[in-house]
Amino acid sequence: MIDMIHVHGLEKHYGDLRALRGVSFDVSRGEIVGFLGPNGAGKSTTMKILTGFLIPDGGSCEVAGQQVLPGEPASRRAVGYLPESTPLYRDMRVDRYLDFVAGLHGQERAERKASVGRVIDACRLGRHAGRRIGWLSKGFRQRVGLAQALIGDPDVLILDEPTSGLDPREVVRMRDLILELGQEKTVLLSTHILSEVEATCSRVIVIAGGQLVADATPLEIARSRAAEMTVVLRVPDEDLADFDAKSIGRDFAHVPGVARLVSAVDCGGGTARLVLDVNRAPGSVALSGEPVAELVADTLAKRGWKLSELTWQGDSFEAAFLEITDPEHLDHRARAHREATAKAAQPGDPQGKDETEQNEGETT
Amino acid sequence: MRAELGTLAWVFRREFGARFDSASALTVTVVFALVAHGLFFFLGHPVGDLQLPSFWAGGVASLQVVFAWLPLLFVGLIPALTMGAWADERAAGTDELLFTWPLSSRASVLGKFFAVWAFLGLALAIVILPLGLVTASLGNLDWGTVFGGFIGAFFLAGACISLSLFLSALFSEQLSAFLSSALLLGLLWSAGLLVHALPAGLADAVNYASPYAHFFDSAARGVFELKDLIYHVSLMAAGLWCNALVVEGRRWS
Repeated sequence: MIDMIHVHGLEKHYGDLRALRGVSFDVSRGEIVGFLGPNGAGKSTTMKILTGFLIPDGGSCEVAGQQVLPGEPASRRAVGYLPESTPLYRDMRVDRYLDFVAGLHGQERAERKASVGRVIDACRLGRHAGRRIGWLSKGFRQRVGLAQALIGDPDVLILDEPTSGLDPREVVRMRDLILELGQEKTVLLSTHILSEVEATCSRVIVIAGGQLVADATPLEIARSRAAEMTVVLRVPDEDLADFDAKSIGRDFAHVPGVARLVSAVDCGGGTARLVLDVNRAPGSVALSGEPVAELVADTLAKRGWKLSELTWQGDSFEAAFLEITDPEHLDHRARAHREATAKAAQPGDPQGKDETEQNEGETT
Repeated sequence: MRAELGTLAWVFRREFGARFDSASALTVTVVFALVAHGLFFFLGHPVGDLQLPSFWAGGVASLQVVFAWLPLLFVGLIPALTMGAWADERAAGTDELLFTWPLSSRASVLGKFFAVWAFLGLALAIVILPLGLVTASLGNLDWGTVFGGFIGAFFLAGACISLSLFLSALFSEQLSAFLSSALLLGLLWSAGLLVHALPAGLADAVNYASPYAHFFDSAARGVFELKDLIYHVSLMAAGLWCNALVVEGRRWS
């Protein structure tokens, strides 16, 4: 996958406040990535640095293969940006404003006309094209903001709280629009509406206190909070004869992401049910992206047992988000996340492979 | 370079058009024109070294009275035209988008400057041209001195605009930008009156540094000199350079 956004070790200070503390992440082509965090976490600062509006005090970033440099507009052509407050020239007509933005992108008359028509259609602004921006409702102004971000047909869209202040109907429309755009473009989306993230984003980056604390799919993040995993399996009759919880528990003792086996019950008819306590420690495999369910299935397979059902209890994305952004444990989580990421990045020594091999050695 | 000129032209278009959409800019321009005409016909210029009777009282076919008043009128007009140029962008947050579009700070600073300068040139023409036509119809007006005075006033306005835009970039409230700019231009104007109270060497230095001295002593009397042009252009460049520094500095804030 080609990285459309590459952020490495970003640092930013506002006076004594250290707003960003070595933030690093990548976003690949075609991804819609949710960029989450509590207020003051450093999301908007990161986005402003990516768009070239702010200059970082340390670190670097690239957008669409172009390094974002002060005074260098080249990388800005690859980015469409919708800031949090949707600042627009309210005295201008929608079509003239978009024509102005197209002009700043260096487009000639015919190209400008085509671009303005394209974004007006894409953002469904047709009926309002001749109206002053200041006269439009908040929802339509938000669409004009998105339209200006699309005018240069950028590869990357950076949207800072695009649904903030919209009514539910407009939120749904905006979400559909972002999903539609995500089919062609890379989208980095900041929002406080977690249901929106689950509905639109393939991946979530969580930042808190200026540090990255999680980078995983919404499902993985939700499961990182899950308390228990229930596994229903099909077990051969001869194994059921001496179905022993202690021996099964030993198998799971070294499975990353599993704290312990809570119970193992023979349900009859060649099936059994295991309840596993999931390890929710900061930097646990669930948080760092390791597929816990697959490791559990592998462990069962080594005994010759077939997994027929696996359910998670207590997996709430919102609860997980609150927990991983808890101010009391931020430094610990950020360090654990960095360690997990660094370990996974070691060439020829991927985390998953290491641990699987270790498990194999101990279970056979 | 061509791309930069293109973006500069777009900023110019947007800013020039915005002046016509701004009720405050239009109102202050109309007031400027009415006051200039009133002073020319009825009051004359009874201030400072350049004492002149009004048009009706003096009966002289010359626009020197109005040129003599322009520096003081600029103290109110120019801050009113420039106060929103950056302060408004900052207050509304539109500068955040402006500097994420593919244009340089230089192009945006110059685009705004030329837009206000052109608008003021238009306002100046609206004041000078009718006065010139009325005066020419009643006497023997020397259009050469009118042209010299107009060009001198235009360049003086350019220097004042660049300073005012720089101050506008320092504030996020229009009122603060207006007051600071009016104070600066007012001080520069009054420097010409205060020089008599200063020791000779210092008076010369203050006089030479004041943009108005490079207007009163030459263009206001109908003589436009190259050294004044160089002075005003240098002041413009300094103001614009400071403006660009402030704007670019926001990226580091």
